[in-house]
Amino acid sequence: MSETMKPGKARAPGHTYQEAIVKDASPPPEAFLDYSYEFLGDQDIPYSHYTSREYADREMEKMWPHVWQMACREEHIAEPGDYQVYDIGHLSAIVTRTDSMQIKAYVNACMHRGTALKSPGDNGYCQTFRCPFHGWIYSLDGELLEVPENWDFPHVTAETHSLREILVDTWAGFVFVNFDREAESLQDFLGVLPEHFKGFDIADRHIETHVCKRLPVNWKAAEEAFMEAYHVKETHAGGREFSEPVTTYDVYPKNVNRFIHTVGSVNPRMPVPPTEQELMDAMWGKRGANEGGCPEVPEGATARDVYADIVKKKLSEQYGLDFSHYSTAQTLDSIEYFLFPNFFIFPGLSLPMAYRFRPDPNDPDYSYFDLYFLRPHDPASRPPPPPEPMMLDVKDSYTAAEGLGFLGAVYDQDTDNMAAQTRGFKACAKGGQTLGNYQEVRIRHLHQRVADYVGE
Amino acid sequence: MASDLEMARLAPETKEVVVHEDLCILVCHTGGAHYAIENRCTHQDTALHEGRLRNGFISCPLHGVRFELKTGEPKGELTRIPVRTFPVEVNDDRIIIRIS
Repeated sequence: MSETMKPGKARAPGHTYQEAIVKDASPPPEAFLDYSYEFLGDQDIPYSHYTSREYADREMEKMWPHVWQMACREEHIAEPGDYQVYDIGHLSAIVTRTDSMQIKAYVNACMHRGTALKSPGDNGYCQTFRCPFHGWIYSLDGELLEVPENWDFPHVTAETHSLREILVDTWAGFVFVNFDREAESLQDFLGVLPEHFKGFDIADRHIETHVCKRLPVNWKAAEEAFMEAYHVKETHAGGREFSEPVTTYDVYPKNVNRFIHTVGSVNPRMPVPPTEQELMDAMWGKRGANEGGCPEVPEGATARDVYADIVKKKLSEQYGLDFSHYSTAQTLDSIEYFLFPNFFIFPGLSLPMAYRFRPDPNDPDYSYFDLYFLRPHDPASRPPPPPEPMMLDVKDSYTAAEGLGFLGAVYDQDTDNMAAQTRGFKACAKGGQTLGNYQEVRIRHLHQRVADYVGE
Repeated sequence: MASDLEMARLAPETKEVVVHEDLCILVCHTGGAHYAIENRCTHQDTALHEGRLRNGFISCPLHGVRFELKTGEPKGELTRIPVRTFPVEVNDDRIIIRIS
């Protein structure tokens, strides 16, 4: 067998993502030029890993309590007394800001008889945490302050019955929690992420749009729908030829993987390469009729560079900020990083999303998908408070959600395959799903990391 | 009996309690709009005026129940009863609360 035929060595015809972006006028970040693909095997992924109640229970027992998870943004808890509830399966955390502006997280359960202190997913403000059942009161620091009729509780003290703390830490304006007090640090868990995100200003962004949708598929399969660009031609482009973007897939130890794909570059699979002006026309067409005529691409320039400059200028005017330091690739490309087990972030300028997926604790065939659009703001100014999440049920369309623009229909396309996938998991005689070695390596990485916690 | 209550406009992101006969009303100016709700949490009758305004909601300071100022609808599990709301009109520097 030749070298190129070894599993995982094959690539789509034409240039790689890295070869495409070195032609940009502005140099891409070094991390974008990195190749970090590793062949992780080619065995089928058992469908039982999606459909089995027993497997979901193992995930809940052995994985979710021990991994760092994004609970909220710092702006959710901007002031003392602000709180945000993060629920994962049967676990629930209250994340709050104390009077000394520290961020803390507690198990969302009264130390008396266990009543949840706050409702699922809730956010708000309180001066103390007061149980609605018997009125036990805790400070924002979690200390037990008051037990009504304490003559009956000589065995209860602040030392024994203050709220149980949960590990909490922040990165890039996101607040992460870990229910395991012995867990590794968030910094260790993040791996290459802080290094790869040096050129971005994620901490100076805020949530502009938040949509939470219930999906009719297991949480892992929901994530997988967003882990590869292989589906683009059929799911989003009606099977039209040559609509696959040029994409790099990379896996990093232990918890990070990514894809990055070009926007507005020549697809090497086209029999007749388009002109730069044709590429410009195609990108410009998505902006709508109110944007005026399509600009001309000067001789010797590329559509990507011309379009990136326009995007940067428009966003600079919109947000009053200078984006001139962003490269063409940082501005235009779809840059998606994944942090195991359930967090995706797009640091790019024009596609500024973040995703979070969570299992339905009562049914492995359902999950919840939080979709955020993050927008930049002046670092010297205070970010606006996050919007109330718009809740969508399985059959609701993303086009009903404000703030998604043309992407609403795209997210419908992404999620409309999911019920069929769940049915197929159960109907399929083969027993497992087959993955591409390169384009679907992130999916295999996800499953291998899950298996590290729960076993096969 | 239908009647109106008139008061001066509030500074942005502030709130004020006004009493009208046996009604205690909380008037809020937040997010560029004025709202008027009964100053009483439907969970356990706590006054709402010490709660925090954010995103068109007020949080009850006792257990944290949030009410949408526009509709009075509660969030969370502690109550399903909406807080009473009153129509508000803004004329120049005055606001008028319609009570009926």
